[in-house]
Order: sequence, then structure tokens, then C-alpha cells
Amino acid sequence: MTELRELARRLLSEGTVNAVLGWEEGPRGARPAFVTTPEGADTLIFDHRCVHNLASYLSPRRPHLKRLGKVAMVLKPCDARAVAGLIRETQIPRDKVVLIGVRCGGVITDPDSTAPLTEATVADRCRGCPDREGHLADHTVGTAGPGFAGPSKRAQKIEELAAAPAEKRWAFWQSELEKCVRCHACRQVCPMCYCDRCLADKTQPRWIESSPHARGNMAWHVARAMHLAGRCVDCGECERVCPEGIPLGLITRKIAQVVSERYDFRPSDDPAVPAPVGTYRMDDPQEFIL
Amino acid sequence: MSTTTFIRTEDLKGLVADLRAAGIGVAGPARTSDGAVDYRSINAFDDVVLDGQPRNSLKQFFLPPTEPLFKYQRKGSDVAILEISTTFPPRVILGARPCDAAAVDVLDKVMNWDYTDEPWFGRRAATTIVTFACPGGDRSCFCTSVGLAPDATRGSDLLLAPAGDGYVVEIVTEKGQALVTANAKRFGAGAGVEATQAYRDKARASVEGHVPARPDVIRAWVDAHFEDPFWAEISLRCHGCGGCAAACPTCHCFDIVDEPETLTEGTRRRNWDTCQTSVFTAHASGHNPRNDQCGRCRQRVNHKFAIYPARFNDILCTGCGRCARTCPAGQDVTEILTRIVAMATGQGGAA
Repeated sequence: MTELRELARRLLSEGTVNAVLGWEEGPRGARPAFVTTPEGADTLIFDHRCVHNLASYLSPRRPHLKRLGKVAMVLKPCDARAVAGLIRETQIPRDKVVLIGVRCGGVITDPDSTAPLTEATVADRCRGCPDREGHLADHTVGTAGPGFAGPSKRAQKIEELAAAPAEKRWAFWQSELEKCVRCHACRQVCPMCYCDRCLADKTQPRWIESSPHARGNMAWHVARAMHLAGRCVDCGECERVCPEGIPLGLITRKIAQVVSERYDFRPSDDPAVPAPVGTYRMDDPQEFIL
Repeated sequence: MSTTTFIRTEDLKGLVADLRAAGIGVAGPARTSDGAVDYRSINAFDDVVLDGQPRNSLKQFFLPPTEPLFKYQRKGSDVAILEISTTFPPRVILGARPCDAAAVDVLDKVMNWDYTDEPWFGRRAATTIVTFACPGGDRSCFCTSVGLAPDATRGSDLLLAPAGDGYVVEIVTEKGQALVTANAKRFGAGAGVEATQAYRDKARASVEGHVPARPDVIRAWVDAHFEDPFWAEISLRCHGCGGCAAACPTCHCFDIVDEPETLTEGTRRRNWDTCQTSVFTAHASGHNPRNDQCGRCRQRVNHKFAIYPARFNDILCTGCGRCARTCPAGQDVTEILTRIVAMATGQGGAA
């Protein structure tokens, strides 16, 4: 923590950046912090409660954050994949942000929990995560535990669903998606959902019905899944913020599995790795094209 | 009207069974498939979970997330409107929290302001709210700072507080009296209100002091500081996800949409909406008067603690704390209000 604070203080006092995006202790546990003074660097923390993916705050569509000017951002290895995604898709120039990588041995699910990080409390998405340290960083600080072995419970559920007959899968998703109230919180926190005007907000014509009924909900979640294919970095934020507890990670992970199997792509923290969307290779599977 | 009676826990179970047998819908806080507790339909009192605050509020029982207003059919150049009934079957909500029951009463004002909202009042008329005095809250609760209390009767038809082998029942409204009268065999003599005092005192102590109880000071400061840098500072962490508004028992804004179902038929619906999104204030011209999150965060505080009080002499917040519990970025209304009072009384400023 001292290392992180020292570095943040130096970047702020030397004028390298105007703000450092990290985590602080809030009234209900760890939360995003926006430090703008060298003295403020002492409020920065990093531990297993720092679950939030701060890359969402780098979106160029957030004018109130843009006013901060040049920022440094503290990032876990999984968050680095999101930043790489934004750079890959030319949303942020690499030289406009200073990246402070923190070594990570996994996080829990609730930033307000006092539980230690154990096999029982670790976030499911961290099970089997091979990355203790990101590659996309200007500075790397901290130490990390050994991480947690897979497979995740989610991977098991995906297998279980894949093995089930179509009617059963349909019934499962109908019962899950009927809970959706279409608040679009999943979209708002997603670092890769940065469109100026989302398809779901367009009214002329109304591509996706905004009503939280079976038709509108299915249309929204299918559209969201397709738009995140080959782009989702598995930060788990959509599922964490869903006020209705819908297991959105099952959708994004299943799609990631398909993309990985068919296009040999896994979200990487190297912005130079080409994304499957927008890249054509002669040996791309194309038997589905009529 | 403030008379009391008593109901034993066994009779409460019997009451739910009687109501269900009579075809009356019963809802209460119960476990969901993902392990949370929501207000939802129940079949038996044993389904009711009284520990902790439900994740949702009572709002959806009166203003559903989506609701058809009418259907339309086009015939040539004519349009026929098919009305949808605003009369609803009777329902009892059992195990409401005082903050959630009060919210419904707060919203009656806006729902009966420039027009009378028929679906809202149709459901209000059909619903009897049986509230359980709150056992106490967590650090985000602040009902006593907005003029309520863990045992407030506002919005409730009956208020139950535990004593001995059952509950002391305060009869708050005529509707509450009607429920007692219609099920008289389930109610009887028992402990009086004084037997619940220790329970009430303990609950009150658990929520006091989280926000200074100065709604007048908050209102005056918000009114006078529209351009204060405070709003820009607190909005930095806000994603504009609207989770706060969805969870809020008093956020009531809705959008109205026409959804064609065939070439000639469709439905006009209203859906929950929130001032936390950009599209909420987007004009057809492309101009957006509230074009960043600073204005949206300010709007939420402004509407609740200044605009609604000015228009209806009532605070559009019952201190339930759900917005703080649900926020994925740790935005906390108790912190915001506490800082506003500190700034207004000269004990602090924007950090």
C-alpha cells in the first residue's frame, strides 16, 4: 500500500497526472476513488475488496470525468484487459493514461464484506485466473497471493446448460430474464459498452423495445451478448451490479467460449493483439455463411 | 384511529391461510431463487423472512416496472382505444417495513397532483398494508432523519410489533380495521403497546445519528447551491446506472411508449425510468439540458430534498438506505446529506 501511495503522490506532485483513479475506504467498504491532490494519495487502498473495474471511468463518453484531464489509473490484471480493449478499439490513446498495475491474487464479490479471501469467499470469476500481474502497465506495485484453482462454478453451470435439451435451456433463460427491469445498469458499468448512443436507447426506429417484458428483455440481452462477443474481458461487473441477480456472466462467458473455440481469441491485455471482430483471416470458420 | 389488538404467531399463520383460501393475494418478504429476500407473492406465513431489509421496495406493487395503459387498433383512418381495467383484485401485503409503507403514502401526493393516476389508486384501493415494526437497521438507515421512525405508522393500515407469543396490532386505518373485523377470530386480547417499547427503542437507537436530522437545512442548501462544485465532485464515481432509482421506494418516474404488436394493433405502456440516464432528458433536437452526470446526481438529491418538499411539503425519501446498499460504486446518500449539513452549518466544505 505504501508503494502505491508513494507512487500516486509522486505522479500528482510532479504534475505527471491531474488525478489518480484508485480505491478508497468508503462508508460501505472499498469504493472507487478520484485523488486530485498529493496529500489525498494517503486515502488510496488496494486489497481483495477492490472488485470494481475502474476502466469504465476511462470511457471518452463521460464528460464529467474528462474534465479531470490526464489521469493515472490503478488496475488489476483483469482490468488491464479492459484498458487494452479500449486502446485496441481506439477509444483512448495509450499515452493519455498512466497505468499503475497492482499484483492480484483474487478478489471477493462484495466490497463491503469483512470476510478474508479464501477458497469459500473468492469471486467465482477469479477461480482459475492465471494472471497475478498484468502486462499493460507503466508501473507495477504490490504483492499477490497464489490465486485460486479452477474450474469456476460458472463454468460448471455453462456445461450443465449446454448439455440440457433446448426446451430446458429456454425455460431457464425465460425465468432468469423475466426478472430484468431494464435499468441497463449492466451496460452502464461495462467498460466495453461505450457507445455514444446505445442501440437500446434509439427510438427512430425502436430497435429494441424498452419495456421489461419477455420480448423486450430477450431482445436486449441477446443484443448485448452479441455486441460483447470477442470483447468481454470477464470483469464480472455486469453480474455484480444487476439489481435482480441475473447470472449475466453465464451469457458473456458462453459467448467467450465460442469465440475462443472458433477464432482462437482470448481477451488479452496486449492492445496489439487483433480483435476477432474487425479482423479477417483466410482460415476463419465460415461454414455458417450461406 | 389508534386502537390496538393482539395476534398470536399461530394465528398469523392461520390468517395467511384464511386469506389465501378466500382467494386474496398475499405478498411479503420472501427468499428468491438467487438467495436474496424480495417482497413477492407468498403462500404461507412460513415463507416470510423478517431478518434484514428486502432488496426491492413496495413500489412495484403499485407501479409495476412495465404496465399496459391501453391497447389500440387502427381501422383505416380511425383508431379504436381498448381500455384496460384499473380495478384490481384484493391483496394484502404482510411484513412491510415502515420505510416502505411510508413511501407509498408519500407518492400518493404526486400521483394525485396534476391528474389522478388511476392504476396507482386502483391498486392502492385493493391493497391492505400490514407493516411489521422494524427490528433495526444498518449504517445506511436514516428514517429518523427524514421524519419517520422504525415504528412509524405512516402508509400502513396495521402496524405489528412483537410481544410474547405474538404481535401487538395497532389499527391505523379503516382498511386495517376492516381486515381485523373480517378475520376477527384470529385477533384477541394480549399484551399492550407498552410491552413493545424496549423493541422499539432498540430499533430507533440503531438508525439514529447516521444523518443529521435537519431536512430544512438540507433543503435550503440544495436550493442555494445549484452550481456548487460539490456536485461535480460526488458525481465522479457515478456510472449513471440508475440502480439507486430502481431500488428506491419513492423514485417514481416513468417513460411512456407505444409498442406495435401487429400492423394495426399495439399497446401503450409505461415503464420505469430514471433521471440518472442521459436519455431521460435528451431532446428530439439532439440537445440535452442535463448533459453530464454532475447534473444527474444533483437532480436526484434536489428532487428528493428540495423540489418535492417545495411542491408537496414532504420529503421524497424515507431513509431506507437502499440506494447506498445497491450502488456499485459506493455512492452513499448518508455521506452526501451529512456533508451538505456540514457545509450549510459551516463545519466543512467540498473536499
